[in-house]
Amino acid sequence: MTEVIATNQTILVVGGGISGLTAALEAAETGKQVVLVEKRPYVGGRVTQLYKYFPKLCYPTCGLEINQRRAKMNPNLTILTMAEVTDIQGEAGNYTASVKLSPRYVNDNCTGCGDCGKAVTAEFDDEYNYGMGKRKGAYLPHRMAHPQQYVIDPAIIGTDDAEKAKAACKVNAVDLDMQEETVSFKAGAVVWATGWQPYDANKIQPYGYDRFSNVITNVEFERMADPNGPTGGKILRADGSPAKNIAFIQCAGSRDKNHLLHCSRICCMATLKQTHYVQEALGDEGKSTIYYIDIRAIDRFEEFYQTVRENPNVSFIKSKVASIVENRANGNPVLKGVDTEGYHRYENEHDLVVLAVGMQPSVDKASFPVDIVINEEGFIEPASENGGIFAAGCSSDALDVNRAVQQATGAALRAIQVVNRVAGTEG
Amino acid sequence: MSDEKKFAGYICTGCGIGDRLDPSQLESIATREGKMQSCKQHEMLCNSEGVQMIRDDIANDAVTHVMIAACSRRAKVEAFNFTDVALTRANLREGVIWVRPDADEHQETTQEMADDYVRMACAELRSMSKPASSGEQQLNKTIMVVGGGITGMTAAIEAAAAGYPAHIIEKSGALGGQAADYIKSIPTRSPYSEPQDTGVAAMIASIEANDLITVHLNSTVAKTAGAPGRFSVDIATESGAVVTETFGAIIQATGFNLYDPSGLMQFGYSSSPDIITNGELEKLVKASNGGPIKRPSDGKEVKAVAFVQNVGQSSTEKGQLSYHSGIGDLIAIKQAMYFKAQNGDCDTTILFNNLRTPGAAGEDFYRAGQEKMVTFSKGEVSEVVAGDSLEVKFKDLILDEETSMQADLVVLDVGMMPNSGPDPYAVPMVIDEDAEKTEEAEVKAPTVTVDSILNLDYRQGTDLPHLKNGFTDSHFICFPYETRRTGIYAAGPLRRPMDMRQAQDDAAGAAMKAIQAAENAGKGMAAHPRAGDLSFPKFRMDGCTQCKRCTVECPFGAINEDEKGYPMFNESRCRRCGTCMGACPVRVISFENYSVETVNQQIKNVEVPEEFDEKPRILVLACENDAYPALDQAAMNGVEINPWARVIPVRCLGSVSLSWITDSLNSGYDGIVLMGCAKGDDYQCHFVRGSAMAHERMGKVGDTLSSLNLEPERVVVYEVAITDVERAPKLINDMAETVEKIGLSPFKF
Amino acid sequence: MSDLNTAMTERYRSSFLKEVEANVEEGEWVKMCMQCGVCAGSCPLGNAWEHTPQKLFMMIRAGKREAVLSSDAMWMCTSCYNCIARCPRGLPITHIMHGLAHYAKRLGLSPKNQPTQQFAQIFWDNLMKKGRVNELKLGLSMYFKDGFGQGIKNAMANQKLGQNMMKAKRMSAMELFGGHSIKDTSGLQKMIKKAQEIEDAKIQGNS
Repeated sequence: MTEVIATNQTILVVGGGISGLTAALEAAETGKQVVLVEKRPYVGGRVTQLYKYFPKLCYPTCGLEINQRRAKMNPNLTILTMAEVTDIQGEAGNYTASVKLSPRYVNDNCTGCGDCGKAVTAEFDDEYNYGMGKRKGAYLPHRMAHPQQYVIDPAIIGTDDAEKAKAACKVNAVDLDMQEETVSFKAGAVVWATGWQPYDANKIQPYGYDRFSNVITNVEFERMADPNGPTGGKILRADGSPAKNIAFIQCAGSRDKNHLLHCSRICCMATLKQTHYVQEALGDEGKSTIYYIDIRAIDRFEEFYQTVRENPNVSFIKSKVASIVENRANGNPVLKGVDTEGYHRYENEHDLVVLAVGMQPSVDKASFPVDIVINEEGFIEPASENGGIFAAGCSSDALDVNRAVQQATGAALRAIQVVNRVAGTEG
Repeated sequence: MSDEKKFAGYICTGCGIGDRLDPSQLESIATREGKMQSCKQHEMLCNSEGVQMIRDDIANDAVTHVMIAACSRRAKVEAFNFTDVALTRANLREGVIWVRPDADEHQETTQEMADDYVRMACAELRSMSKPASSGEQQLNKTIMVVGGGITGMTAAIEAAAAGYPAHIIEKSGALGGQAADYIKSIPTRSPYSEPQDTGVAAMIASIEANDLITVHLNSTVAKTAGAPGRFSVDIATESGAVVTETFGAIIQATGFNLYDPSGLMQFGYSSSPDIITNGELEKLVKASNGGPIKRPSDGKEVKAVAFVQNVGQSSTEKGQLSYHSGIGDLIAIKQAMYFKAQNGDCDTTILFNNLRTPGAAGEDFYRAGQEKMVTFSKGEVSEVVAGDSLEVKFKDLILDEETSMQADLVVLDVGMMPNSGPDPYAVPMVIDEDAEKTEEAEVKAPTVTVDSILNLDYRQGTDLPHLKNGFTDSHFICFPYETRRTGIYAAGPLRRPMDMRQAQDDAAGAAMKAIQAAENAGKGMAAHPRAGDLSFPKFRMDGCTQCKRCTVECPFGAINEDEKGYPMFNESRCRRCGTCMGACPVRVISFENYSVETVNQQIKNVEVPEEFDEKPRILVLACENDAYPALDQAAMNGVEINPWARVIPVRCLGSVSLSWITDSLNSGYDGIVLMGCAKGDDYQCHFVRGSAMAHERMGKVGDTLSSLNLEPERVVVYEVAITDVERAPKLINDMAETVEKIGLSPFKF
Repeated sequence: MSDLNTAMTERYRSSFLKEVEANVEEGEWVKMCMQCGVCAGSCPLGNAWEHTPQKLFMMIRAGKREAVLSSDAMWMCTSCYNCIARCPRGLPITHIMHGLAHYAKRLGLSPKNQPTQQFAQIFWDNLMKKGRVNELKLGLSMYFKDGFGQGIKNAMANQKLGQNMMKAKRMSAMELFGGHSIKDTSGLQKMIKKAQEIEDAKIQGNS
């Protein structure tokens, strides 16, 4: 049985993405006991899947390395991966959390040597790459994954592959008998940082993500542009040929009563950033066209927008694309709509369409394991009724990394206020 | 603690190390050459049994220094986290066996690599001591908050709620700042449809009732001396009285000023009292006291108001702001609602280009504005013509036509400029006299406060360094609170333009960092990014030549000078990057566990084969945060690295001492590769200036090379990112090729 | 009608948007448009009109009263509902288009020779007579609206269609002589008249 040592002066952080990780580290580095619960087998969340950050065009893994080192060095922080909070009861200063731990089938002995991965044969869609590319049934989710421990896919349990993995491991790290378990522990305050998920592009019927192979999403494009990603950084169409004339459709699912009511804030900047990827991969051969309603380059990001505007290989069309059809002859998506600045109808053919899909809260309003105030858009409201539970990052609004980190740092303080009050009364 | 040192080596034979290498040879190197008093092998050192073995030796055999030859120092950190000893790691897995092919013909050179890494680790360990704090530190839990606006008040309230006393220093005679003039604020709670109370009055009341918060009105900071944990601040009041208080950490929340649009003639700001800024509108509406809103010129009720968005911002024009305040459109919606609330028939038109109302709250508020019949027009305003009725000329971008509208009042959306004090590193402006004649008269540059706010008694200037446009942060994406002055955190619009809700979140975050800084300063622990590090640089003053390089080059302004020019180090201002160490030409600065000597010993203990062996040696100094992890990842991918390379991780390229370069060249190394982070405007260096300093210093290495009669290509400096998984090994392998081309160094003995 | 137009112009001098809001069916939605243009792009007949819904809505905000009310655009709407289905703000665009057409007609500003409009009038007149549409007369009225000669030409062109309809008993030549009506035509007419009075009163009240 896994044992989690915690008291009502412990801070529970739910979600180990950039927000949760930040909140956990800031609290732990202030001397507080913190338990971080993360659903994935590793921390870092979705930023690990980004190639670069806007507006600096620097690498998310660079800051992640620092955060992971902070986590490794800090004795106040306990990280539970493959773990999900199923229930929280109690009140500020006295919560009891139930956490479901899914079996990793690999224990702490794992050195990350990779022998099990080499031994197994079955392959699965690689979720780290949004299904582009394959991974083995015994795998390290990505090269910088922390904890640096392999995972065995439950699908190979009971197969020869599982036995092969076990046999290959020289350090007794593979434990095929691991079972799901639920642990309960105390916490004085909770930072809720379960983050976001990309809006399901299949629901945007007129854009044909489900039907046209050369229509992809912005999160997939991130992986594609990454030289360490599934295409080695090449921007490719479904048939493997290079895409050179790329359309970006903004507000794909955002600012839309039929989909997400809110503006997802980050997609404009993400697309501006992605035009840099096109330029980087293809030089002047790569053309980007951005179809937008409003370009929301906010405060200091404005300068980044200006530099993209000056790039002759990037054009802007103020239009919400009405629909996409496929040119049967060459598989090219054809975008139909109206450039509203002066009313020009277009039917533009592109090699590849990237849908700038929006941010949706990861946890569905109906399935929150705790009573909490949630707004119409599904984000947690900063309400006093939430007691000792504080939202951080994209569970509270569609935020960029900077603002998520900012907000998570504040959330850590609010959690500390609660546990300090507990400490004050308990002495 | 006794000064008795006891050295113990541990060699892991797991993960294929034992299969690929000869562990008994490594063990004998560790004991004979490396002078480890004991050396043990273990088949899986990181498992509980292996770790326990080391623990027992520390506990029972008084081991003080531990050398672990196993995997990369980035792996199994938790297992090998022995905080009560000096620790070093020889990287035999990612550093050797994973980057070398498993074939007989490579066996000899692979083993040599491993041998050297063990020699290096032992040599490093011998010149290390266990880091311990200086004992000078103090715990002072009181936080100083400069600025009594929304941000500052929130920071004080939040700190106090966590049990930390706070002092607010406010220049004016009242708390509230700019928000005190506002009628309402942009909504901060769902459903985000109505302007809401600013909360200023309630905050002031709660501060007055809070025993932990002290307010200094009509006061400024006359002097800030000391360091986190022991800041000593002279607070001057208007009357001239000065009180001195001590603080653990500081939050600067000095807010913003609005851009002055007088210089933008086309908007007619100076030509009519009815053309006002969004800031002035708040006062105008407040003066109406709930009655009809009257225009300044003749007191006539405003029946049509035009909001001209994005004035003097998002611009590449000289004298205007290159960034955007981000919240101007939300403010315009809020202000249009003031008119609608007073008189539903008042025409309110917002002329925008890109409507920036982001997030859930922003989009909700935009729709709420539309519901209330606020008219939104995508238009570019070319001119506002003064007159009884103001004429706003604009291009309607949707209808694609030049047009105009009439209004009784025109409100200009001007941007927020941080009130951040002078930048210590501002380059003095070169005044082009010709340009002055032609342009200066027409376009005034944005006015920036030049009076100091913090009056830091620091060698490197009186205030927080700016990053860009007066904003005072550094790594604003990953670590938004990191300024370049330890223990001093910026919050609110000083850091970036923001609305009240964000400013309040920001204040809480800054309070978090301030509390953390005070606590850690009390323990003698480093602040971000080496949080918890107890080591700190020590200065051997008898060797110091008062050259002042350390005091000038420290990216964090940690070092002051005494009147003779000797460095006065402030432990809790230091981030432990070692840039001072790299700067010092006489090598008098060192950390307990990282010094000129620890690296020099590694360099010296690499076995440099004689020339006829034809085995060159390449020294690689790699930033531990980016280049070194890139090499680790390359190893995971099985990328080959040339067997002549010996990689030493450094805290920052800024800590690289030139002596390491000259000494290694003198002792027969054939090539040197330095890998640091990106420098320049979008720097990625975690210590801000370290990489840039290193590049600058290495620019002078050419002289050394030519004085030694060596080819310049033997020393190269690269910017390497953590993602350069293919490139980083290639740069090393390229050097091997270079050496092959130009021949071995003649300095082998 | 032009009196009403003058009154309306007077009443809403400052804001055509307000006029639309108060008098056009679903007109209160116009202010909610965010000019994304998805309706314009989604309209299957879009390239046949002068103004698309999105553009009309902007013209309304810009106070282009004449241009909007005399536009042919809203008369061209075929009620395919593509725009409604896709509008991210949920505007009932189809209904607004019909509302605008109706309002323009009331004010006498609709384009005079716009065929859809003419057809609508003919259809209405035809319907009012018997409370039921007389297919034959409706067809003939359409054919002959542009004069006798043109009417013959139109009739000849559609001869085959007419014959087939008769064969399928979808149309009867007997309809020419009055045709059958609903049970209480005058009752219906009274109802319509009353409805018109209510609507007029409302608009007058607004004017």
